[in-house]
Amino acid sequence: MNIKHLLKTIAILLCIVAVFGVAMFGLNFLTGPIIEANNKGAEFAPLLAVMPEAENFEDVTATLAGVPESVIAIYKETTGKGYVVRAKASTQYSKEPMEITFGVTADGKICGIQLDVYTDSIDFRAKDANYISSYVEKDSALADIGTVSGATYSSSAFKTAVSDGFSALISNQLIAEGVKSDAQILQEMIPTLAPGMLKLEEATASGNIEKALKAGNDAGFAYVIKNGEASFLALVNASGICKVYDVAGADVTDAQSALADEAKAHAAASQKSYAEDLNTKITRLFADASEITALELNTFNTVVAGVSFKSNGADYYGFYSRSYGYNQMDVYVILDANGAIANLDAKAFFFDEEYFHVDDTVNLTDYKNGFAGQTEAGDNAMIAGATMTSNAVKQATADTFATFNAIKGGAQ
Amino acid sequence: MKNFFKACLLRGTPSMVLALGAGFVMASSADIRAALGMGAAVLISMLLTSIVVSAIHKFIPAYAKLPVYLLIITGFVSIIEMVMEAFFPIVVDMLGAHLAALAVSAVIYRDAEEIADHSGEWTSIKAALTTGIFLTVIMVICALIRETLGNATLWGREIAFLANYKVTALAGAFGAYLVLACVLAAIKKLTGAEEHLEGEEHE
Repeated sequence: MNIKHLLKTIAILLCIVAVFGVAMFGLNFLTGPIIEANNKGAEFAPLLAVMPEAENFEDVTATLAGVPESVIAIYKETTGKGYVVRAKASTQYSKEPMEITFGVTADGKICGIQLDVYTDSIDFRAKDANYISSYVEKDSALADIGTVSGATYSSSAFKTAVSDGFSALISNQLIAEGVKSDAQILQEMIPTLAPGMLKLEEATASGNIEKALKAGNDAGFAYVIKNGEASFLALVNASGICKVYDVAGADVTDAQSALADEAKAHAAASQKSYAEDLNTKITRLFADASEITALELNTFNTVVAGVSFKSNGADYYGFYSRSYGYNQMDVYVILDANGAIANLDAKAFFFDEEYFHVDDTVNLTDYKNGFAGQTEAGDNAMIAGATMTSNAVKQATADTFATFNAIKGGAQ
Repeated sequence: MKNFFKACLLRGTPSMVLALGAGFVMASSADIRAALGMGAAVLISMLLTSIVVSAIHKFIPAYAKLPVYLLIITGFVSIIEMVMEAFFPIVVDMLGAHLAALAVSAVIYRDAEEIADHSGEWTSIKAALTTGIFLTVIMVICALIRETLGNATLWGREIAFLANYKVTALAGAFGAYLVLACVLAAIKKLTGAEEHLEGEEHE
C-alpha cells in the first residue's frame, strides 16, 4: 500500500465521519428535546398524571421535617404550581401497601389523585367508582369524604394516607390548612366516643338529623343532628341508650334531651335486636338457665346484647359481641357473678379461612376452654397465624368485661 | 425472479441458514412491537447502506472496504437509533443494546459487501428491501408465537383466555432457541435451503 492509497483511504473515512457527524449533529436538534422530554416523562409520569400542567418537579422530601412514615415522597412543582405527594397505606386486607399519588395546588386543594398500587382483597374502586375522584378539589379538611361501604378499612386507610400527606405539607408551612366544618369535626369524634361502631354506613336522615350513620356490626347509630345553627353528635347504642356531644366533645345529653329522643326514635326504627339469638345460645350452653333478663347496656363498644340469668343456683351474665376479624365475628361470652369467664363461644371462628393450616394446629375446644376463669382480656386469645380472628376474640372479651364493669359499677 | 426472491429469503434469513444475526433475532422476537421495531431498523439501515455503498464502492480501495462499510453501517444505525429513541422509546427500551449492536451485524455487512459492492443501485435497493422485509416477517412470526404462547399477550395486551395456559419458557432464551429452530426447519423445508447452499458451493 503506497502513501497515496493510504491518504485516499483516510480521506474517505474522514469524509464519511464528517457527513455522519453533521447529519447526527443536525438530527440532534430535532430529536434531543423529544428524547429529553421522553426521559422526564417516564420519571415523572405518575406525578404528571395528577398535575398535568406541571413543568418540572423537585424531590423535597429530605428537606421537610415531621414527614409521617406513610408519606413516601413529596415533590415540589418548580414553577410554584403546588406539590405532588406519594403516600402508602396498609390494612389487614393488604398483600402489600397501597400506593397513592396526589397533587396539591399552591392554595391547598387536591388537583388530581390516583391509586398506583392496590392489592387489597376487597376493591373499594369496584364498590364506589367515584370514590377516588371525589377527593379532587378538596382541601386538607377533606370535607364530605367518608369511607366506602363494604370496604371501610381499605377506603379509610386511603383517606388516612391522604391526610398524612396534607399534614406533612401543612406542618412544613407549604400550604394553608383547610377549615373543617362542625359536621366533619363531629364525625371524626365517632371512633373515640363509640369505638364499637364499626364499618359505619350512611343511612337515611330525617328531621333535624343532618347525617345518619349505621354501624355495620349493628352496634348502634351515629347522628350529626342540628339544633338551630349548632350541630351535635348523637350516639345510640344497640340497647337504645343515647348520648349527645357538642363540637368540643362535651357530653350535653341532658341539655339536648330533645335531640337525644329524636335520635333514639330514628335508631329504634332500624336497630336489629340480638337478644333472642343470645337467649337461644345461653339455653344451649346452660340447659337449666332460668330468669333470663335483658340488661340495659350503657357502653358504646362491640357488645350488642346482654342478659343476666341463673343456672344451678348461681348468677351469670351473658353478652353478645360483634367485632370484626377476618370476617364478622359473633362472640358469646358468659361471665359468672364475679366477672370471670364461665364460657366463651362464637358462631364461627374463621381460623380456617384466615390461614388454612391454623385449623390443623389449634384445638378449638382447648382454645375456648382456655378463657375459663379469666377476668380481663389477655393474650391467650391470640393465635399466631390467625391474628385478625384472634384479635377479634380478644376485642370481644375486652368489651364484655368493660360492659360488665359498667353494669356493675353503674358507670361506662 | 423466483430465484432472486429465494436467494433474498435465504439471505434475509441468514440466522436460519448460517446462524448469522441469530442473537438479535432472538432478542427482538419476544414481543411483536420489538420485532417490528428491529425489522424496521434492519430494513432501513440495510437500504440506506446499500444505496451509499453501491454509489461509492468504485472509489473505495479493496483493502479499505471493511472499515468503510462498517463506518457507513454504524452511521446509519446511530441515526436510526436516535430517531427511534425520540419517537419509539418503548421499542428502544425493549431492544436495549441489541439495537446499537446492529451496527456490527454481519447481516447488514454481508448484504452491503455481497450485493451493493457488486451490483447496480436498483439491484441493491431491491435486494435490501426484499431481504429486510423477509427478515422482518420471520422475526414477527417468531414474536407472534413467543408473545402469544409465552406471555399470553399480543402487542403488549393480555389475552385473557390464554393467561392460564401460557408456556413461560417460550418467552425466555430457551423459547427463543426453540422457536427459531422450528422456524429454521420450516424455512429449510419450504425453500430447500441446503440444496441451494450446496448448489452455491458447487458453483
